[in-house]
Amino acid sequence: MTSLKRSLAADPYSANISSKVFVRSTKSGKVQKIVRELYLRQDIPCSSKLCTSCLETAPRDAGGNLPPFVLSATPAGTKKYRSGHYLVPDTNALLNALDLFEQASAFYDVIILQTVLEELRNRSLPLYNRLVGLTKSEDKRYYVFFNDFRLETYVVREFGETINDRNDRAVRKAVQWYGEHLSKAVGKKAAMPAVVMLSDDKDNLRKSKFDGIEAISLHDYVSGLENADQLLDMINVAKEGREVRDAKAAQNLYQEYFSVSKMMTGVKNGTLHQGKFNVSPYNYLEGSIHVPAFDKNLLILGRENINRSVQDDVVVVEVLPKDQWKEPSTKIIEEETMNKDDNADAEDGEAVVSEKERKALQETVQKVHQNSFETNPQPTAKIVGVIKRNWRQYVGHVDKSSVSQSAGRKLQTVFLIPMDKRIPKIRIRTRQASEIVGKRVLVTIDSWDRDSRYPVGHFVRSLGVLETEGAETEALLLEYDVQYRPFPKTVLDCLPKQGHNWVVPPLGDPGWKDRRDLRGLNICSIDPIGCQDIDDALHSSRLPNGNYEVGVHIADVSHFVKPNNAMDAEASMRGTSVYLVDKRIDMLPMLLGTDLCSLKPYVERYAFSAIWEITHNAEIVKAQFTKSVIKSREAFSYEAAQIRVDDTSQQDDLTNSIRDLMMLSKKLGQKRMDAGALSLSSPEVKVQMESETSDPIDVKTKVHLDTMSLVEEFMLLANTSVATKIYDAFPQNAMLRRHGAPPKTNFEELANQLKVRRGVELRTSSSRELADSLDRCVDPNEPFFNTLVRIMATRCMMSAEYFSSGTQGYPEFRHYGLASEIYTHFTSPIRRYADLVAHRQLAAAIDYEPLDPSVRSKGKLEAVCKNINMRHRNAQQAGRASIEYYVGQSLKGRIVEEEGFVMKVFSNGFVVFVPRFGIESLIRLRDLAESEPESDFDAENYILTTSGSREVKVELFQKVVVRISDIKEESTGKRKVKLELVRTGGK
Amino acid sequence: MPLDTSSYSLALLRLDGRRWNELRRITAQISTMPSADGSSYLEMGNTKVLCTVTGPCEGGGTRDRDRADIRVELAIAGFSGVDRKRVGRGDKRVSEMVSTIQSTFASTLFTNLYPQSTIHISLHVLSQDGSLLAALLNASTLALIDAGIPMRDYITASTAGSTSSYSSNDESADPLLDLNTSEEQELPFLTVATLGGSDQVSVLVMETRVQAGRLEGMLAVGVDGCKQVREILDDVVREHGKEVLKSGRL
Repeated sequence: MTSLKRSLAADPYSANISSKVFVRSTKSGKVQKIVRELYLRQDIPCSSKLCTSCLETAPRDAGGNLPPFVLSATPAGTKKYRSGHYLVPDTNALLNALDLFEQASAFYDVIILQTVLEELRNRSLPLYNRLVGLTKSEDKRYYVFFNDFRLETYVVREFGETINDRNDRAVRKAVQWYGEHLSKAVGKKAAMPAVVMLSDDKDNLRKSKFDGIEAISLHDYVSGLENADQLLDMINVAKEGREVRDAKAAQNLYQEYFSVSKMMTGVKNGTLHQGKFNVSPYNYLEGSIHVPAFDKNLLILGRENINRSVQDDVVVVEVLPKDQWKEPSTKIIEEETMNKDDNADAEDGEAVVSEKERKALQETVQKVHQNSFETNPQPTAKIVGVIKRNWRQYVGHVDKSSVSQSAGRKLQTVFLIPMDKRIPKIRIRTRQASEIVGKRVLVTIDSWDRDSRYPVGHFVRSLGVLETEGAETEALLLEYDVQYRPFPKTVLDCLPKQGHNWVVPPLGDPGWKDRRDLRGLNICSIDPIGCQDIDDALHSSRLPNGNYEVGVHIADVSHFVKPNNAMDAEASMRGTSVYLVDKRIDMLPMLLGTDLCSLKPYVERYAFSAIWEITHNAEIVKAQFTKSVIKSREAFSYEAAQIRVDDTSQQDDLTNSIRDLMMLSKKLGQKRMDAGALSLSSPEVKVQMESETSDPIDVKTKVHLDTMSLVEEFMLLANTSVATKIYDAFPQNAMLRRHGAPPKTNFEELANQLKVRRGVELRTSSSRELADSLDRCVDPNEPFFNTLVRIMATRCMMSAEYFSSGTQGYPEFRHYGLASEIYTHFTSPIRRYADLVAHRQLAAAIDYEPLDPSVRSKGKLEAVCKNINMRHRNAQQAGRASIEYYVGQSLKGRIVEEEGFVMKVFSNGFVVFVPRFGIESLIRLRDLAESEPESDFDAENYILTTSGSREVKVELFQKVVVRISDIKEESTGKRKVKLELVRTGGK
Repeated sequence: MPLDTSSYSLALLRLDGRRWNELRRITAQISTMPSADGSSYLEMGNTKVLCTVTGPCEGGGTRDRDRADIRVELAIAGFSGVDRKRVGRGDKRVSEMVSTIQSTFASTLFTNLYPQSTIHISLHVLSQDGSLLAALLNASTLALIDAGIPMRDYITASTAGSTSSYSSNDESADPLLDLNTSEEQELPFLTVATLGGSDQVSVLVMETRVQAGRLEGMLAVGVDGCKQVREILDDVVREHGKEVLKSGRL
């Protein structure tokens, strides 16, 4: 009987076969023992151009190509190594100072050992990926030597030897072999480059000295280089020696949440506070929360205090003792730059606050301490519990450097970087990492445990490749929770059967019941160019008594959208139409929005009309509301209407009636201004698209025309009149819109800035005073300054909101911005649901039809208000984000110099606003010059002075010239405009 | 996390130190089980399989009265992989491999010489480290030779892969020969078996996605690998023959 035992002597491979055995633990805690074969060989080249013997045996790839040898024959040297050197860094050296190796001034001809590469990969995947990138760059001459596969340099782990010691020994052995190999190759005749091990490990250095191997610490080596001072800064001092390797973080990184009952009692008796958590857009480690008990927002600083809360969570906080109160930080801290080398896979060994973060925070704290005498610090708090998570689905992209390059379909953990900078990185486990890299993806957060630094989520779906129109638009819609799916069939079933052939029925039809026939009036509409959903039309005529009759006619949407059917439900959920640069997401199906409801010219349409008798001085004599049938004479664009009005040769009735309207609107506007209405400003630009390809080609700032204010004035008039009317009829549940007076504290900073920088006083006690003081904020040399201040003032305001009249007292109805006692939205029912509700209420108020119970129920109305407020805000943000994206796209590949203004100054950067493109962007100190200049920040005077590598003095409100180019922002994956400071002062 | 297959491009070395066109160590023995009519033990790297052949014996011919049936049984030991896992009888992967082996040998063996009889091939996997189907085919060939069942030529098999995954689509991808488990998990690969070291392909199985352009290179490398395997197996058989002659067991 033969035996299965193999005799080793008979095996020709036995000398050079080995196996690698290691133990690993899986996510579920299972321990796996992996056995791998190792085929040791002698044909792995040293890759030095000095060596000829390796050339013969060097391997070729399948195409028969020989990879060129990498290491130069005449490498650079230092004082210590005059004949040049090849560097062999060990793992610690790379971990501590990979930035150094990426320098262009030094670190050429480097040998990376397989042992080191493998160890580095275990420690930090991003660093590993960076290093692999380095080895692929041709001019840096990095060569990866697979020492563990070469027979001579393979090292067997001895009994009782730690893996680290074994690896260090492997590195030393490889260095030794290289030295011997090269001296053999070169012979005695020439000066041979030294092979130098770079290490930060004292033990390793000592042992190599003992073995007679050239070794030097990173610090000593860099000191011998020419630009040593600059380079020395890059060595991570905090991580010297071996401590890092053995560092074990505490098991739980975050504090435990309080129990619900503890939070409830705490909130009740005032020791704890509840509110919505908000993260600063400039500093991801700083959040704020508004609670009723404090005027000022409570600050929440640092990862530990933020305690696993995410933007918009409803949280409970505990106020910290007064000695820990701080100023809001004046520093820009971005997650991307702080934690880019984190390993997504590593569960242990990560402290909750990384060293860098701690440092960044401390610096801001120190700044606060210096001038704490003059300023009053803001109360700070820490989060002790979360009442309600407001996690939604987040759109983002996968951090490329956290992806292991070819794990194939193996499960791996990667970081997802959300588009919204206020959301932390999300750790997701996926099998398709390689497929979703470079795509816009949708993820959700699943949980955030105490022992995990980042929240854990999962991949939902991919939206498409980054920067493709479809993916970006969908991303935007998802990010702002816009309902963009096509209308379901149940909704379409609610449309009139006749479709586009629907016409106003002949006189006498039941549809004419209680409708006034206004077809004979000279009605026209004025809208932006290309507007299809025409909500409103106007007319005016002179009455025999010298007064004017003015009518505002609004599309009668409520005739088509009956309460409580599927279409109504869909519209109330959508809340508003969303206007993106290249796309419009309708609230109502196209048939209604752009045809049947739309007050198109030359055809009869149902309308809801508000008709006033107005005196020559724009005093309103009487107002009446009625359902009607109209026939618009013409649909003008703002520009066309303006031209027609300005052209004195046009004397037809229609043009003259527009002139009358213009005259009245100016008087109405003046009255409003006298009452203290604010003229606010927000950066408005328009993206011009090429008609064929719809690629953005240019960006224009919007021009203001008189015809725009004409329409606006009468719409305001209609809205106010209707608001009064429906409030009279339904004091408990009229759909109204209010704009709260901003709390004084909102303006504090701006007022202070204006006072310090320009000596102007901003009075904010009433809207009238504010309007007046805004008017005084002028700089004779800089006409835009006033607009800039207005933009900044707008940001201090509260946002307007819809509400049901029963929920507030009458004084609270006030619309601060318009200086109107009562206000609602009535004029755009095609694109706003609130208007539709107002239409129904007005129809009931004039006894046209009974009020549907759903519009009468207080609870339901409140729910509707809450929803449309949210939708409205999201729609605005989505619109803005869309413009921002297209502005970025239109600048793609272009570099422009433009004037801008400093809007905000931080201690390590400033925000510049460029009116030409309506963009604002951050310029960090480190963007100013290659090495970050020294800076001195005068927080009282808002002046940032830099010195060193670049000397500039940046002041708030200052005019600067910036170079605008486009850049793909790594952190969010968005193409964004990048601003570079060219010079301060104007052109 | 040890290095993965992406490091190949750094020095043209695979995870275990091989070049692109190198087989792993293959060792084999035949007549390992005296009780069986034919038996073999084959190692391809850390993939270890045992094969016994019984027959041709009476009974069978149920499908075709003029030919012998081939019955293949495959048992994968619970301890053969990294995780201890029982592989049941109904396992899809197992039955797929069984049917591949069965149909391959049905067309290679001269089954018409044994009407109404059955040849049992029983395979046991002791250790898995990639290229399992190839190892099973090779072991079966050896055992069938040992059993003295006439066949057209050796069926020899190997696997071939490509160094870049489908999604990364690297232009300069090299084909790879004889993949181990970690390579199989990360890279596209196929199993190919040829008849007697010729270019006649008798088995070609591929379950991963790969760009069509790379397939030709992979197949060429695989077929070439089969030729090398044939030489190794042939050596094993001849060595065994010499020994038998020397010991005078015939």
